[in-house]
Order: sequence, then structure tokens, then C-alpha cells
Amino acid sequence: MHSRAALALAIAIMLLAGWGTITALEWPWKAKLFPLVIGIPLFCLAALEALWSAFGARSERQAAADFQLSSDQPREVVIRRTALAVGWILGFFLLIMLVGFPPAVALLVFTYLKVQGREGWLFSAVFTAIVWACFYGLFDQLLHLPFPPGWLFTWFA
Amino acid sequence: MIDAFVQGLLLVLQWKAFAFMLLGIGVGFWVGLLPGLGGATTLALMLPFVYNMEPVEAFAFLLGMHSVVATTGDVTSILFGVPGEATTAAIILDGHAMAKKGEAGRALGAALASSLVGALIGAAALAVAIPVVRPLVLTFGSPELFMLAIVGLAFIASLSAQGARGMLRGFLAGGLGLFLAMIGQDPQAGIARFTLDSLYLWQGLDLVPVLVGLFAIPEILDLVVRGTSIAGNVPGGRISHGALAGVKDVFRHWWLTIRCALIGTFVGITPGLGGAVAQWMAYGHATQSARTPEERKGFGEGDVRGVLGPGAACNSKEGGALIPTIAFGVPGSTSMAILLGGFFLLGLVPGPEMLTKHLAVTFSLVWTIVLANIITVAICFLLLNRLAALTAAPGHLLVPVILVLVFIGSYTANSSYADILVTIVFGAVGYFMVLAGWPRAPLVLGLVLGKIAENYLYISVARYEAAWLARPVVLALLAIAIGVICYPAYQTWRARSRRSARA
Repeated sequence: MHSRAALALAIAIMLLAGWGTITALEWPWKAKLFPLVIGIPLFCLAALEALWSAFGARSERQAAADFQLSSDQPREVVIRRTALAVGWILGFFLLIMLVGFPPAVALLVFTYLKVQGREGWLFSAVFTAIVWACFYGLFDQLLHLPFPPGWLFTWFA
Repeated sequence: MIDAFVQGLLLVLQWKAFAFMLLGIGVGFWVGLLPGLGGATTLALMLPFVYNMEPVEAFAFLLGMHSVVATTGDVTSILFGVPGEATTAAIILDGHAMAKKGEAGRALGAALASSLVGALIGAAALAVAIPVVRPLVLTFGSPELFMLAIVGLAFIASLSAQGARGMLRGFLAGGLGLFLAMIGQDPQAGIARFTLDSLYLWQGLDLVPVLVGLFAIPEILDLVVRGTSIAGNVPGGRISHGALAGVKDVFRHWWLTIRCALIGTFVGITPGLGGAVAQWMAYGHATQSARTPEERKGFGEGDVRGVLGPGAACNSKEGGALIPTIAFGVPGSTSMAILLGGFFLLGLVPGPEMLTKHLAVTFSLVWTIVLANIITVAICFLLLNRLAALTAAPGHLLVPVILVLVFIGSYTANSSYADILVTIVFGAVGYFMVLAGWPRAPLVLGLVLGKIAENYLYISVARYEAAWLARPVVLALLAIAIGVICYPAYQTWRARSRRSARA
């Protein structure tokens, strides 16, 4: 999993750097100098990492000064729960686009507590009301952040 | 001078100024806790309220608010792994790792105590440097600022895993950050670079949505996968303990704390580098304090030195940033530019007058930073048990709240849904980087410093052609950059030769 992720990342960066370098060639020198200075070495480094990941010896994992994902769950559980979490994140974004920010916040919190947390109706409703009141009071009433209406309201208005 | 120093304290202690400072602290406390809502935005929002205030009251309010934002930003970063501020992301690496090990109390204690030390050092630097800073700041032209950005980028070597592969990945991540920094309208030729025909990308990638995605989304995914609280199965009673141990850690590593505070002050003094760099440079320096590769492996997994360094640097930079703002009217960051607006609103002109006619007001700023930080840290210590206990709350209660904070935090950057999309994309990038064992910190350094480096390089070449390379400060900074890059390799070599000598 770890080396496949490294390979995928390296290839993605290779493609990005390659595209960036080719695109930059058409610009005036002032605009293209820095992209070329960064893009070409980045492509070479990414190619080296890709080759290392694909054909290099499987050595002990070198830990970066960064956090490590938990490894105490079976692989199937990790994949299933990760997919579920990604679903919630993307679902929340889609909900914001469809109904706008304020209703989406209430819907997410309530649904998550009911479906994922299996909390009772009363607890979910009270918890949602508190979170929503804090959100609405602070960001809408106090700070006047502009929240455009969702697509659904625009379509059916 | 001493009279003005004492008078400055007395001015802040007047009931009205003190009350405004407390009000500012209250606002700054919550702004710091909320991800995305930055200190600069809040300063701008509060600026109209100072019209009818006396200068001392206005600065007690504005600076009291601004100087505590970073302190409480650290709290959010440590507890939830979500950057409370763009300037408090580096503390996540070890601070949140400690929280996950059930050491939230110790991490918070260390962060708060080091923040206080940092703030005091920054304020002391402001007080001491006012008469002598002029030659220092004037020495720094565009070539020196470019080299300073290179020194910052050199810290990529310290933020990477050791060994050739670790370095390769670190520089690859840093290169990706530099590449992403080029997105947007090119300042020299006006060409829209890598904007994908999107108007949103013309101004480049905003740091807040990128940071929030890069750090918070992988933490949320991990929290869902674990299905527990942030602190896992650590008994609740243990979590809130250890604050005192965190405070003791500051004294145990006092020299590191002071060094990192000085790094923060220096970054603050230097106009144009921006606050986000200070914590990362301090974190890079803290990792260098590990004497052996084994000791170094603890960074990222909850080493308290990874909390002390960024904690101290983040607050000390505020005192440093005030120096050029007051002395020359040259703001080093967005917040300082807004504060400069406050000076003009109140009829004060930054420059020599602030060091002569209004010296007492200038010293009142120093005292405001000191008092505001002492009060905030005291309040935080009182609330610390409750704050740390949040890491024992069930994951399914925290996930939707954190998700709302993450999305709203990134949305506040430009009030655009594209901000949220950027957060999601960088969340995926951050997750894959963690999965692949790549460090995320170099990407942030590259992104923050890329634009600065490019701009100053062009100005240097246009102004001095190749002659800028021979300037003494440029050469000194180049030597420092080479030293920073080579130091991890030297550490590995020294550890290996010691081991072979023992064998």
C-alpha cells in the first residue's frame, strides 16, 4: 500500500511537472524562467522516486517527521471506513452546493449522529441545534459571511 | 528611556485601556480557536471601532486581540489536528501526535508556556531593538530577502526523513510546493500561469484552504478509521494531567525554546517573509536539536521539542514584526499592514516620532503584548483540563463538528466554494503523502516561500544583475543555507562513526 501510494504520487508529480514545463515553454522568458527552473528538476526527482518505488529494494519504511496513519485495524476495515469518511466529506460538499451552507450544516450534523453515531433522536436533535446555533450566530449574524443559496433554491425559485 | 518604559506600563494599566485590552483578548481568544478565521481578518473587522478611542486604548484593544490569536490557534491545532491559524500548522505534527497518545495536557502545557516565553522574548526584542534596528533592516535589500527565503527552503532537509530516499521525498515535496506557488498571475509579465482558465486561481492558491485540507482531512479520515476518540483508549483522567510536565519541558529545553523564539523574532523583523514561515523554520531547527537519528525518529510521533519550537516562534514573531512597522512604517505582514492603518486612523505617524515624541505609547505596545499573553496563558491553564478532555470525546461527536469547522474555515478565505474544493483536493494530496510516508511540511515551506523567492530573485537580477551574489550578507546567508542542508547528513555521519567506534 505504502509503495503503491508513493509510486502513484511520484507519477502524478511527474505528469504535473511535465505538463507545467511544456506549457511554460510558450511564455515570455520572464514568466517561464521560474517554472522551468522548478519544473525540470521536479520532473527528474519524481522520475527517480517513481523508479525507486517500482524497482527499488523493499527497505524498512523511512518515517518522515510527520504523523503516521493508524495501523491497528484490518486492511478491509481501513478501506471500508476510509471510503465511508470520503463519502461523508464529498456528500457534505455536495449538500452545501445543493442547499447552501446553513441548512447543509444542520443536515450533516444530524445525519452523521443518527446514521454513523447511532445516537437517539433527542440527543441528535439537541446536539445539532447547539452546533447550528453557534455556526449561524457567529458566521451569519455576527460576521455576516455571505452564504449563497444552494442550487436547488436557485432552480426552483 | 526608563521613564517612558514605566509610563508605558502605567498607560496600559489605566482602567479604560486595560478594559479594552481584556475585550480584545476575549475576541482574539475565540478567533484563534476557530480554524481559518485569521487574526488579520479580525483586525480589519475591528479597525472601525477604534475611531473614537485614545491611541493607548486602541492599541491595547487591537494588539491585545492580535497577540493572543496565535496562542489559542495552537490549542485547536494540538487538540484536533486542524490548524487554528495558518501560522500554527507546524505545531500539529508533534502536538496532535501527543494528543493522540493521551498527552494533550502535556502538549498544551508545553505550547502555552513556550508561547509565553516566545511572546516575552519578542516583546523584549521590540523594547531593546527600537533604537538599534534601523541599520539591520536597511541592510536587507531584495538579494538578502531572496537568500533568506533560500535559508527557509533549506530547512526542507531538516523536515525530511534521514537517508537519500528521505531527502529525495522531502525535496520532491518542497519542489511540489514551489510549483504550486507559481499558480496565478505572474507578477513580472502578467501571464496567467497554470490557472486552468479559472478566475479563482488568478490570485494563486490561498494558504488557508491548502493548509486546512493538507492537515485536517487526513486526521479526520484517521479518526473515522480508528472509530475511537482522538486520544484512543487512553483513560480520560490521564489526558488532562501533565500540563505541569509540559511547563517543565520548557525549562528542560530552555535553550531550544529561546533559540526558536529568536528565530521567530528574526522572521518577524524581516519584512516580506510572513508569519507562516516562522513556525516551520523553528520546527526544522527543533528537529536538528536531536543528537542521534534514533532520537530524531521521535519527531512527528509526539516529541515535545516539536511543540516547544513552533510554540515559541509563533508568538515571538509578533514583537519582531512590530519593529519595522513602528520604526519605519514598513509592515512585514498583512496584520501589521492593518495595524499600520490603525496608526494613521489615530493620527500617529510611524517613524522617528514613535521613538521620541510618542515613546511611552510605543512602550505601551510592548507592555500590551506582555500582559495580553500572560492573561491568555493564565486563562488557558484554567480551562486546560476541559480543553484536553475534548480529546476523550467520542469520535462520532467530533467528526461532524470538525468537518463543519474545516469547511467553514477554508470558506472564510475568499468566501468561495472553490476554497472548499481546494481543501478537498489538498486533503487527498495530504492523505496520499501520509500514506506514502512523504513529509508534508516541505510542501508548505515551498508554497509559502516560492512566490517570495521568485519576486525577490527578479528584483535582485533586474537591479544588480549578477553583482548581488557578491554582497556580504548574501554570502553569509548562503553559508547558513548550506550549513542547514548539510547538518542532517553530518548528524547521520557522526552517529554512524560513533557506533562503529563503539563496535
